Amino acid sequence: MENVILLAILLPIIGAFILPVIGRFSAKIRNITALLLVTTSFGASLSLLGPVLSGKTTTFLLSMPLGFDLILTADALGILMALASSFVGIIIVMYSFGYIHHDANQNEYYLMVVLFLGSMIGLVYSQNLIFIYLFWEIAAICCWRLIGFYREREIVLKADKAFLITVFGAVAMLLGFVILYSQHNTFNLLEMQGKEASSLAVLLIMFGIFSKSATLPFHTWLPDAGVAPSPVTGLLHAAVLVKIGVFAFARIFVGTLQFDPVWMQILPIVIAASALVAGGAALVDTNIKRIIAYSTISQLAFIFLGLVMKNPIAIAGGLLFIIMHGLAKGGLFLCAGIVEHNAHTKDIRQMGGLITKMPITTVSFALCALSIMGIPPFGGFFAKYMIITGAVEGGNPWIAGVFILGGFITVLYVLRLFALVFLGEMRTDLVNVKEGSNTMLAAVVILGVLSLLAGFLVHFPNEFIQIALEQMKVGI
Amino acid sequence: MNETNLWLLFVIPAIVGALLLVIPMTARYLRGVISTVTAALLVYLAINLWGQQIEINLPWAGFGIDFQLRYYGFSQFIVTAITMFAFLITLYSTKFMVDKPKSNQFYGFLLLTEAMAIGAALANNLIVMLFFWEGLLITTFALISLGSEKAFQTGLKSFIIIGLSDLCLTMGIGIIWVQAKTLVMSEINLDTAGLNGVAFVLMMIGAIGKAGAMPFHTWIPDAAEDAPLPFMAYLPAALEKLLGVYLVARIALDFFTLTDGMRILVMSIGAITIIFAVMMALVQKDFKRLLSYHAISQVGYMILGIGTGVPIGIVGGLFHMINHAMYKCCLFLTSGSVESQNGTTDLNQLGGLWRQQPLTMICFVVAAASISGVPPFNGFVSKEMIFEGALEMGSAYRIFYVAAVLGALFTAASFLKLGHAAFFDKVDPKKPRVKDAHWTMQLPMIVLALTCIVFGVWHKLPLNGILKPALMESMDKVIDKGIHFEFGFGPLFWTTVLILTFAILNHWIGYKLTGKGLGASHHIYELPGLHQIYDLAEKQTFDPYVQGKRGGRYVVKGLFYIDRGVDWFYQKLVPATANKIAQLRQIHNGLYANYLSWSVGGLLLIILYFLLSVPK
Repeated sequence: MENVILLAILLPIIGAFILPVIGRFSAKIRNITALLLVTTSFGASLSLLGPVLSGKTTTFLLSMPLGFDLILTADALGILMALASSFVGIIIVMYSFGYIHHDANQNEYYLMVVLFLGSMIGLVYSQNLIFIYLFWEIAAICCWRLIGFYREREIVLKADKAFLITVFGAVAMLLGFVILYSQHNTFNLLEMQGKEASSLAVLLIMFGIFSKSATLPFHTWLPDAGVAPSPVTGLLHAAVLVKIGVFAFARIFVGTLQFDPVWMQILPIVIAASALVAGGAALVDTNIKRIIAYSTISQLAFIFLGLVMKNPIAIAGGLLFIIMHGLAKGGLFLCAGIVEHNAHTKDIRQMGGLITKMPITTVSFALCALSIMGIPPFGGFFAKYMIITGAVEGGNPWIAGVFILGGFITVLYVLRLFALVFLGEMRTDLVNVKEGSNTMLAAVVILGVLSLLAGFLVHFPNEFIQIALEQMKVGI
Repeated sequence: MNETNLWLLFVIPAIVGALLLVIPMTARYLRGVISTVTAALLVYLAINLWGQQIEINLPWAGFGIDFQLRYYGFSQFIVTAITMFAFLITLYSTKFMVDKPKSNQFYGFLLLTEAMAIGAALANNLIVMLFFWEGLLITTFALISLGSEKAFQTGLKSFIIIGLSDLCLTMGIGIIWVQAKTLVMSEINLDTAGLNGVAFVLMMIGAIGKAGAMPFHTWIPDAAEDAPLPFMAYLPAALEKLLGVYLVARIALDFFTLTDGMRILVMSIGAITIIFAVMMALVQKDFKRLLSYHAISQVGYMILGIGTGVPIGIVGGLFHMINHAMYKCCLFLTSGSVESQNGTTDLNQLGGLWRQQPLTMICFVVAAASISGVPPFNGFVSKEMIFEGALEMGSAYRIFYVAAVLGALFTAASFLKLGHAAFFDKVDPKKPRVKDAHWTMQLPMIVLALTCIVFGVWHKLPLNGILKPALMESMDKVIDKGIHFEFGFGPLFWTTVLILTFAILNHWIGYKLTGKGLGASHHIYELPGLHQIYDLAEKQTFDPYVQGKRGGRYVVKGLFYIDRGVDWFYQKLVPATANKIAQLRQIHNGLYANYLSWSVGGLLLIILYFLLSVPK
């Protein structure tokens, strides 16, 4: 089984570089190969599920000098994340067939997307801090190329901004890792289990995590990254990039190291501010993709709140919201992509009444939006309830109250967006707008329906999360 | 077998509703007939289950969140009532909605709403309840949006207002889980000290937000104008009251033991809602809008009754809930009958309908007499009980009694005006004569009107047959002896007579002053002081939604500028700093002397460092 982990990681990473070669001969075969690579990686992670459900973890070990051992562990947390990411990844690759097929540089596009997903899978299974950093930076490079996919100067500058901010954070984080090494004499997370991290290391690592997961004050690159093609923004928000930071927090600070209790006071305030500021900005902005991006920032705060609280119900809520947010936010961006692609504008003031022209997109958007708002019977509801309850249980009812306000702002900006784009009067210049292509519609419908089903079938992810909690030794 | 039936009770409407939304159908009446048959089947199922005790308990999401349903005295009452109202409304809608635009989605959402409402009433786990309860947000929004062109604006308003109260409910439930370590509704019992008090207030906000009490009411009058009429009879008049007041009762009687302070808080909300909403109702000039303000005002009575904590008041509050659902539903249906035949509900354009729509008029009179508290209709009985409850609280709480009496006075006055204006005022001779509505629309009105009489004259039937089993568990000691209410010629009866006399007198004065039934409240509208308040109310000054939107804009702008400020740091400050640092390259001027001095200086610093760090 150990080699399956390697397969899940290396297949997309190595396979990605073959894609441009294939692309020289046939675009169609290249597209299908890309889909196959991601699907196989998903399948490999899926096959690792069996041992975890029976309470075992699969580990791959390759000894290297100087503490650079390659240690890959398929535990419940890693598999949860890998499955969520690569599933959304499959949908997004499928959607790209329709979205991207008029543009230049498609070979590079598929190379970067598949490499991106591969690095994500590598990161979630790594137990060595140095390899976490390595995959982290591969993701940053892919993200840089993909945000700047349309090569205009303005757009490239935004890509640079995203790259510089996240890399600055990552370098700070690397320093933090070095401090951890000097404390515990290892980069191996398995050996650091239950040990204390110095506050300086926590601070430096939090720089990296917050910059990657776009949290105040390192968040402004994320709305700017909306200049990328919509499937890419979907990938950044739902599957890969911003989830890296959240995941790293879960891996390092929830599952492994302890930190000073003072952080339990500071971090909730930072993320609460992040939720409110992003929510306020989302209510003012008029660019459809920027609004959804701000919504990601505010929803990431919910995930962080769950993980920071360090009690079982809160962490379970946070992990559940990673899945639910991934499905729903992916759906929102892909719907926004269809709208923007066919209406040829991103300004929501110039839209309206699209429900009559694109009913399927509208319904899918509504399904995903309701999940983000946390309205039952959608999946987001359970996650948000558990996070709020966890915050109360963690002795922070005021923070929970602020997040209820944040949840209310979420309802407001999502409704505003939905109403301005899809309801109301149709503008005359939009009369000829058509629905998206079939693969694009299939992608958004799948994500919308899954957001709905995830609520009814919340039993299954939650049972798995319980295993993850046990493996992370939460509550002991 | 019985467990299966319980499942069917909410699974059938959910599935049929979802299918109606998805499957295209072209036949004109097909959807309506399918939903009516489904609704009838559910009534049958509900009656079949009556009197049984069933519990369902399945694991769901962990952390105390189990799929727990409980069918017992209280929930059987709510559930049966829901199915019956749903049946009457679907029957009514088959004709009413048939050629309306967008009506193809109407039945689907109607049945989904029924499924959610039944689920919420059956739940025995707070999360299961919240699951169905908050799910109603979506169907409410959808049903309102099916109305006029601009109706989605009102839909958004309702979504935002109810959404806020539901979020409060969510947090309240979260606190309960932390404090009581259980989510099972039949096991929760907390005091209201500290954090528990916060939970109580948050839960109450959720409950009265659904019931539509102040200050969560402002979407209801707007919906009366925009939403399809059956929606008004269905949700704000019937289902939302049933659910909201059910939860208020559970919170106040089962979940929490209230202190006097909390009681006063609850009763104040009730009293304020009664007075302000009825004053607004009094001056309305639209049939449906006037009714909608009464739908708000009457909630006040229910909350006041339950808030008293006195057995007769609690029973009265709950009895008022079911009575109100019947007569208000009936009233809305009569307004629909008027609307479908005349094409308008604007009272200025109506009049003299008693000759043309006699059956509608009779149903209206019965329901209006009930809501005005005329003996022996059902509204009289429940209002008397609430008066009695308020009196029993003692002289310190007399203010609530006064509020209840004043509310009754203005309720009677506004219905005199409404009936007079719509059915008896002089009619414009040019207006074409109309016929009475189709029988499928009349039947539900007649059934409801008849029940109003039955529940009034033979009030022991519902009191001991429905309410006693419902309250058995919460108030076993008091209820064991049976619920007593006797018609008598005591002081309370004479209070009612006095109220009605004043109302008629007031109506007569108003009528004489303006010469029209519609103008009967004009002299109150013109009262100095009151007039200014009414003007402000018409400008939506007292609408928390509108004011919140205004004030919220500044807050949101402020947050946006914080965001832009952070971005300025990256966009402007960082590149500017980088440019400044780049100017350091001018140090490289190629002079050896310069480089040498830099090197020596550096060397000195290193030596200094070593000297200082040598251990002594």
